Amino acid sequence: MTNPLTEQFSAPLTFNWALSYSCNFACSHCYSREEQCDELGTAELKQIIDRIAAHQVPFINFGGGEPLMRKDLFEITAYARQQGLNVSMNSNGWLLDRAAAEQIKASGFRSVGISIDSAEAALHDDFRNRPGSFLRAVAALDALAEAGVRSTMSSVISRINHKSFRDLLDLAREHRVSQVYLHNFKCSGRGFKNREDLDLTPQEWKDFYLVALQVKQETKDLLISFDDPVIASLPGYEENPLVKGSSCGKLSLNLRPNGDITPCGFIPLVVGNILTDDFEEIWYNSPTLNKMRNKEAKGKCQGCNVYEDCLGGCTARAFATTGDLSDPDPHCWK
Amino acid sequence: MKRLQRNPDIVWRVEKRRQQAVIDRLAAGEESGDEGTVILLISGMMHQLNLLGGMIWAQCDGSRTLAQIVTQLQAEFDVETALLQADVQEFIDDLIERGWLSYDQSTD
Ligand code: SF4
Repeated sequence: MTNPLTEQFSAPLTFNWALSYSCNFACSHCYSREEQCDELGTAELKQIIDRIAAHQVPFINFGGGEPLMRKDLFEITAYARQQGLNVSMNSNGWLLDRAAAEQIKASGFRSVGISIDSAEAALHDDFRNRPGSFLRAVAALDALAEAGVRSTMSSVISRINHKSFRDLLDLAREHRVSQVYLHNFKCSGRGFKNREDLDLTPQEWKDFYLVALQVKQETKDLLISFDDPVIASLPGYEENPLVKGSSCGKLSLNLRPNGDITPCGFIPLVVGNILTDDFEEIWYNSPTLNKMRNKEAKGKCQGCNVYEDCLGGCTARAFATTGDLSDPDPHCWK
Repeated sequence: MKRLQRNPDIVWRVEKRRQQAVIDRLAAGEESGDEGTVILLISGMMHQLNLLGGMIWAQCDGSRTLAQIVTQLQAEFDVETALLQADVQEFIDDLIERGWLSYDQSTD
């Protein structure tokens, strides 16, 4: 794939979609607790789905906020399935009991991700500021398995779990999870405020990824995924066949509850609105998106031997710390 | 009747702008190259089909036989039938072997 991505792709492959910023939790790392935004009604959400389907975007992933807080979640999902979309969501699991799992199955979800930050119940509950949340999250995984829904586990790597992430993998195995996402820490919203307590130093990130990449290579019974382009310089890094650097604005876009589009959930730059603007105009001509697709090496990235793969690392993190989309990722250890 | 059917687990789409660019180049008598005009997403990997492959793929919706697909393509491409038939057969055999296509054996 040598052609520029906007020529390659006529639309993103995924819309990450916050239907609502409402949540029954207030987690320490969350990007969206301070976000405020109007929510759309069911009819408008269906209109958005029509547009997404018309542009042949194959995947939508509901996040937020807690998607299960929306009463019309299953109606929306069933509608999206009818339009040929593949639907998944990320949930904290609190509301995901057996009955909800059956509805998830019936409405046609392709998979559901449950956020679990530590295999130690007390640590998870503390991080999520909600006693009992670990048990409910684990019960949600079991309910999904019982209902025959593919489950994944999402864990944001931070100071509370970077040394014990193998326990998270074991937990995933015990609860029939098929894939574990070890997410990079994003420094947006509360994640930015709490980063002194939660974020790792660049050297700690390097140490974590060196081990985690090796574990990934040795693990055959579980898919382990990372979403951090800054690992491009490490042994065991598998070249992403779909994209170099951050995938935001190239493979995926983010939808806010009012239909505003941002490059990703962690970059609060609105590039247009899916209901009121011409989507193709946004996709091909948004200055912000084009800037993200054509980053220029700055600072220490200039002359870096892995720039071609890393492209300065996570654009959201660079933007959150310096306000410049092209600056080097603050997690970079080079 | 053996109709060709795409594997329903494969997520795919036509890259419309690219497809149009290739069609325009062909119409202008230029080489079209092997540029992908249809993308397939299979187990997290992306595969691309060129213009002819993409057109065949798009028609394998369970309603057409190989012969019907060849007839359809004949209208689009100015190629000898036997040659087109052989190309389509080879392409389809390959995709069947990969598990991306199958013959729907139901009778009508
Ligand atoms: S210097 Fe820049 S390009 Fe090189 S690894 Fe660090 S962030 Fe990536």
